[in-house]
Amino acid sequence: MKFRDRRNRCLCMALAMLLLCGLSVFAQAPAAEPPAQAVPAPAPAQASPAAGAPAMDVPLDIKAAAPPSTDELAKGDPGGTKTGTVGDVVAADSKKGLTLADLANQAGQNRIAINFVWTLITGFLVMFMQAGFALVETGLCRAKNANHTMMMNFMVYGFGLFAFWVCGFAIQMGGVGPYTTLGGGAGLNSEYSITLFGKSFGLWGTHGFFMTHGGAYDVAAMVMFLFQMVFMDTALTIVTGAAAERWKYAAFAVSSVFMGALTYPLFANWAWGGGWLATLGSNFGLGHGYSDFAGSGVVHSVGGMTALALSMIIGPRIGKYSRSGKPNPMPGHDIVIVLTGCFILAFGWFGFNPGSTLAASGNGALRISSIAVNTMLAGCTGSFGAILYMWMRYGKPDASMSGNGLLAGLVAITAPSGFVNTVGAAIIGVVAGVLVCVSVEFIERVLKVDDPVGAISVHGTNGLWGVISVGLFADGTSNYGGSWNGVNGSVTGLFYGDPSQLVAQLIGVGTLVGFVFTFSYVANWLIDGIIGQRVSAADELAGLDIPEMGALGYPEFVLKPEPEAVMAAGD
Amino acid sequence: MRIVGVLLALAGWLLPVFALSVTQSTGARFGACVLGIIISLVGILGVLNKAHQENAIWKRS
Repeated sequence: MKFRDRRNRCLCMALAMLLLCGLSVFAQAPAAEPPAQAVPAPAPAQASPAAGAPAMDVPLDIKAAAPPSTDELAKGDPGGTKTGTVGDVVAADSKKGLTLADLANQAGQNRIAINFVWTLITGFLVMFMQAGFALVETGLCRAKNANHTMMMNFMVYGFGLFAFWVCGFAIQMGGVGPYTTLGGGAGLNSEYSITLFGKSFGLWGTHGFFMTHGGAYDVAAMVMFLFQMVFMDTALTIVTGAAAERWKYAAFAVSSVFMGALTYPLFANWAWGGGWLATLGSNFGLGHGYSDFAGSGVVHSVGGMTALALSMIIGPRIGKYSRSGKPNPMPGHDIVIVLTGCFILAFGWFGFNPGSTLAASGNGALRISSIAVNTMLAGCTGSFGAILYMWMRYGKPDASMSGNGLLAGLVAITAPSGFVNTVGAAIIGVVAGVLVCVSVEFIERVLKVDDPVGAISVHGTNGLWGVISVGLFADGTSNYGGSWNGVNGSVTGLFYGDPSQLVAQLIGVGTLVGFVFTFSYVANWLIDGIIGQRVSAADELAGLDIPEMGALGYPEFVLKPEPEAVMAAGD
Repeated sequence: MRIVGVLLALAGWLLPVFALSVTQSTGARFGACVLGIIISLVGILGVLNKAHQENAIWKRS
C-alpha cells in the first residue's frame, strides 16, 4: 500500500509539473517521440487550460531540458554538444521566464533568419559575377579597348543600382505582396492592372520607390531588393559585351539607366512580380503560368534581346566585315582572363539558381541541392557540346567557344533548374552548347551583326531555349509550398504530361522577342538620335581607352597596329 | 522599313496574347504562339536587320 501511495503521489507531482510547464500542446500528438532533451514528455489532454489550446504564456521549466551550467560552459565545448541549447532562447519577459510562445517565436525567426542569410549570401555570389563578366568581355576584346570595356562592366553596377533603387524595384516587385519565405514585404501590394478578355493583366508595381515608399522600408523587402538588384545588373552587363569596342560611354550610361529603370523591371514584373505572364495559369489554364525559376528569360533573354537591338543600331566594328560582307576574325587579347572569368561566372551561378528559392528552410526549399547539381551538370554538358561541335567542325577545340558553351549551358538551365531532374539538366546543357556555336555562326555570317563576345547567342538564344525547356522537361516533382504562381501542384512539362505549360512558356518567348526587343530597340534608337550611340571612326581605330577614358588599360604594352584593310575601312 | 520591322515584331507578340481569348484549345494556342514568334523573327531579322544592313559601315567605303 505504501508503495502504491508513494507511486500515486509521484504521478500527481509529475502531472502538476507538466501543467506548470504548459506542455499540453503536445497532447494532440501523444504517439510522437519527443526529442530527448529540449521537449519534455507530453501532458494529458485534460491538462490543457482550454481544450486543445496550448498554454503559450506559461513559464517553462528549462531545467528539464538540462542546459549546460555556466561551469560546464567555462570548460569549453570542443565537441559542440553544449553550445546552442534552450539556454540560448531569448525570453520576451525575463522576469516571467521562458514560455512556449518564446520557443515558437524563436523557431519562426530561425526559419526566416536561415532564409535571409541564404538569400543574402547567394545574392553576394551573384554580385561577384560582375567580375566574371568583366574578365570575359575584356579578354575577348582587343587590348586597345581594355580600359573602356572594363569600365563599362564596372560602372554598369552603379548605374543599374541607382536606377533600380529609384524606380526599377517598385515597378518589378511593388505589387508582388508578402514573400512567404522571407516573412515580410506585405506593403508591396499595389499592382497596376488592366482588364482584358475579362481577366486582370498586371502590368507594373506601384509601391517601393526609393525603397521607402509603400512599405518598402522593411527588412524582408531589403533582402528582396538586394537579390533582385544583382539579377537586374546581370542583364545590363550582357549588353556591354555585345556593343563593346564601339559604344560611346555617355550613351552606354543613359542606355543602362533606362534598362535598369524600365526594360528589365517591366518584364520581371510580368514574370516574377505577379504580372500577367505569371497569371497565365490561374487566368487561362496554361499550366502554372510562365515559369522562369531563376531567369533564363527574365535576366538573360532580356539582356540578349537588348544586346541584339543595340548591335543592330550601332553596327559592326570597323574591319569586322570586308566589302564583300565576309566576316574577319578579331580575336580577343587574353584568353586566360576569359576562361578565368567563365569560372567565376560558373561559381556565381551557384548563387543565381539555388538562391532563387529565396529560402533554405521550409516551402520545399531543400531542393536547393538538386538545383545546384542541375546547374553544375548543365554547365558541364554545355561546354562538352560546344567543344565537340567546334572540334568536329574546325578540327580544334576552341577555347573561347568552350567557355561560351559553359555559359550557354548555365544560361539555359537557369529557368528550368528548379523544375527538372539531372537527366533533363544534362540534355538542356548539351543542346545549349551546340546551339551557342550555331547561333554565333548564324549571327556573324548570315545576319552580319557584330557581337564581339557572343553575348546575343549565349544569353539571348540560350535564354529562350531555357524558357522553352521548362515547358518540355519540368518533371512535376518540385514543391515550393504546394503551388507555383497561384496554381496548385508542381510545374510539369510536355514530356511529363502537361502540354499547356509549353504554351505558357512560348507566350513568354513571344513576349521577349516581340515586346522586349521592340521596347529596347525604340529606346536605344531614340538615344542614338539624341546623343549618338557610336564613337567616331578615328576613336574606334585608335582604341577607346584614350579617347573615351583618358588612360590606356595597358600603358606599358606596345599595341599591335591594325591591319591595313581595317584602317582603310575606317577612312 | 525599320518601322515595318518594329510593327511586325510587335504584331507577332500580340497574336498569341489575343489568341488567349479566341480559343481554349491548347493546340490552337500553341499554333498561335509559334506563328507569332515566326512573325516577330521575320520582322526583326528579315526586315529590320536588312534595313540596317543597307547602310552598313562595311558597305560605305
